[in-house]
Amino acid sequence: MGNCFSDLAGGRSAVGGTASFQANHSNAPNDAVDAFLKSRGHHGLYSQIELSLSATNLRDRDVLSKSDPMAVIYTKKIDGSLQEIGRTEVILNSLSPKWIKKFNVTYQFEMVQHLVFHVYDVDSQFHNVEVKMLKLDEQQFLGEACCTLSEIVTRSNKALNLNLTYTQEASGSAVPSKLGQLTVYGEESFTSKTTTELVLRCTDLESKDLFSKSDPFLVISKTTESGLTVPICKTEVLKNDHTPRWKPVLLSIQQAGSKDSPLIIECFNFNGNGKHDLLGKVQKSLAEMEKLHASGTGANFFIPTGVSQNHPNKVLKSQIFVDKFSEKINHTFLDYLAGGYELNFMVAVDFTASNGNPRLPDSLHYIDPSGRPNAYQRAISEVGEVLQFYDSDKRFPAWGFGARPIDGPVSHCFNLNGSNNYSEVEGVQGILVAYVSALYNVSLAGPTLFGPIVTAAAQIASQAVANDQRKYFVLLIITDGVITDLQETKDAFVKASDLPLSILIVGVGGADFKEMEVLDGDKERLESSTGRVASRDIVQFVPFRDVQSGQISVVQSLLAELPSQFLTYVRARNILPQPVS
Amino acid sequence: MKNSDSRVLEVRVISAEDLSVNRRQPLKKNAFVVIKSEAQKIEAATTVDKDGGSYPSWDEKFSVDMPMHSRYLTAEVRCRGGAGGDRLIGSAKIPVTDFLGGLVPENYLHFLSYRLWDYNGERNGIINLSVRVVKGSPAAKVGFNAGGASCSSTQPWAGVPVADKVSSGGTVTGIPVW
Repeated sequence: MGNCFSDLAGGRSAVGGTASFQANHSNAPNDAVDAFLKSRGHHGLYSQIELSLSATNLRDRDVLSKSDPMAVIYTKKIDGSLQEIGRTEVILNSLSPKWIKKFNVTYQFEMVQHLVFHVYDVDSQFHNVEVKMLKLDEQQFLGEACCTLSEIVTRSNKALNLNLTYTQEASGSAVPSKLGQLTVYGEESFTSKTTTELVLRCTDLESKDLFSKSDPFLVISKTTESGLTVPICKTEVLKNDHTPRWKPVLLSIQQAGSKDSPLIIECFNFNGNGKHDLLGKVQKSLAEMEKLHASGTGANFFIPTGVSQNHPNKVLKSQIFVDKFSEKINHTFLDYLAGGYELNFMVAVDFTASNGNPRLPDSLHYIDPSGRPNAYQRAISEVGEVLQFYDSDKRFPAWGFGARPIDGPVSHCFNLNGSNNYSEVEGVQGILVAYVSALYNVSLAGPTLFGPIVTAAAQIASQAVANDQRKYFVLLIITDGVITDLQETKDAFVKASDLPLSILIVGVGGADFKEMEVLDGDKERLESSTGRVASRDIVQFVPFRDVQSGQISVVQSLLAELPSQFLTYVRARNILPQPVS
Repeated sequence: MKNSDSRVLEVRVISAEDLSVNRRQPLKKNAFVVIKSEAQKIEAATTVDKDGGSYPSWDEKFSVDMPMHSRYLTAEVRCRGGAGGDRLIGSAKIPVTDFLGGLVPENYLHFLSYRLWDYNGERNGIINLSVRVVKGSPAAKVGFNAGGASCSSTQPWAGVPVADKVSSGGTVTGIPVW
């Protein structure tokens, strides 16, 4: 729900820094996956790579100015379809842009991972729109490039140059052969929990505009081992100001490299035509900026002349000051688990008639006399194995829904173990045993409603809050994905979004999972019938047919959103992990 | 009017998203929020966000008195205009039942988001806020009334003593947007 909006108001807004980094949760490294895989001895088979993009000699598609490029990065799946990883900000009037936005991808040793990059010219009429919302078919296509992730990682300087090509044949106009180059720079990202908040201010800036004062903004870049400079954030543009003071900039140690790595801070005068004049630059590490702040002194900007060694730089009168320097620790998901936060899983199994008659072999619930597990049994044991790792007591409340118990009407929430008083079972084996016994004791019915199950889970979560327990709950719903009342389900999900609860839906069978994708809400926030909107993302949908036993990708798809969903809950409430005793 | 017949709420107006004017055009600047009581009295107003455009953020906290019988509050996003005065961008009703009457303690910090509706009844963006009851009713009622279906599995909860420790400290962090 964070707004990672870049280049709003025509390229004058701030980009990069930690705020946008965190907002884009799916991009952040996932320490839950890490810990699970390490426990299974998969150490070193994968790593997080942070990609930065830049381009040169792009095609100019605008008549009176230059192109306003934006890059979109995709992974190509096995079936050839493209999945969007993310979009850069739009850079105004530039044919050789260096985008600031970074992308985190997981490098998996044992797989060939194809990446596809599309570059677009975003017309100025769209400059006030969030990049996520842009319709790509309304933008002008500047070219595409592909590579595999391993090509980048294995380069000695970790930078790969790709020629942009044009494959869209629809337009009859001649396409020039030279479409420019795209450079992809990859770097292994390591997690650092420290974020630095900086408030920067300048004095005595030069005037570069003819009739008014300069419109200054700062760009902070890091220098990589191979000598490349990679921009990591820029501030907003302040108009007509020679003593500007920008809004706070958040930088993580992760973005800077280390506290002692040199950062290049450049001050530019904003120009609408994209040719921003350099007003001065300094090179300071975060540690040096801390000293500047402590002493209250400024650092003089210089202008590189670069002609001879005798006159290396021209030192200017203008100075930069650090008005605020504060470090904050961002606790990770694992910090909370180590610090006394308990994760508790609950399981709900779909017993509706759409799964097919359990006595027939084509049913998803068919119990094979030969002992071959059915779709639900496979889902329970494989998903359960991953989730169990994070459950504190390995006891799971387990329910079924959409079936008629022998002596009653259809129930949308019954205990899988057949008990009237308690719903808990022991471990994954306990769920499997309870599941089979329930199959013999109920008859499949309908309609398919998720609401009562979610309400039951919400009650347990509320109860933990009322008892002041440090617990977070995950409801796992295993279903064939055909639901009767989408709105009823949305209402229950929206209500639950305020509680320490996440919902993981695993879809079995070959049904159309369109409704499940809607519930996942990654494209649009869930809205209830009364107009209340989910205050955070709590739902994740994983189709089980994508899940192949034992692969790293299984763990990843199951745990993809859980850490970020958990962290939005605790961080919004200022809950801290307890120190480990 | 502070008397025993009212609750005191701590309402934090965090941000709004995807605001537009004339249905299509993104809002450029100067959005602010007023919180109104059921009787249409203005209880609180934020400052104007000059820079936030169609995704403004305020992160401002207010203490709001709410009479016991009151059923809802209204949040209105407005735009500070020049000569034409202020205009309504969208409004949302916040029913009391969204932050009272659940199983959670009365002083639980609720993060709530609502669809905004404009003057013509068209959807227009989303508002994000948090609400916490600071001073509640002397006899806090407890009862979960979400959805009709009861579940045999859930143990009957006795009246829940409201723990004061939960969500300690009134500070809330919104999603900072720089």
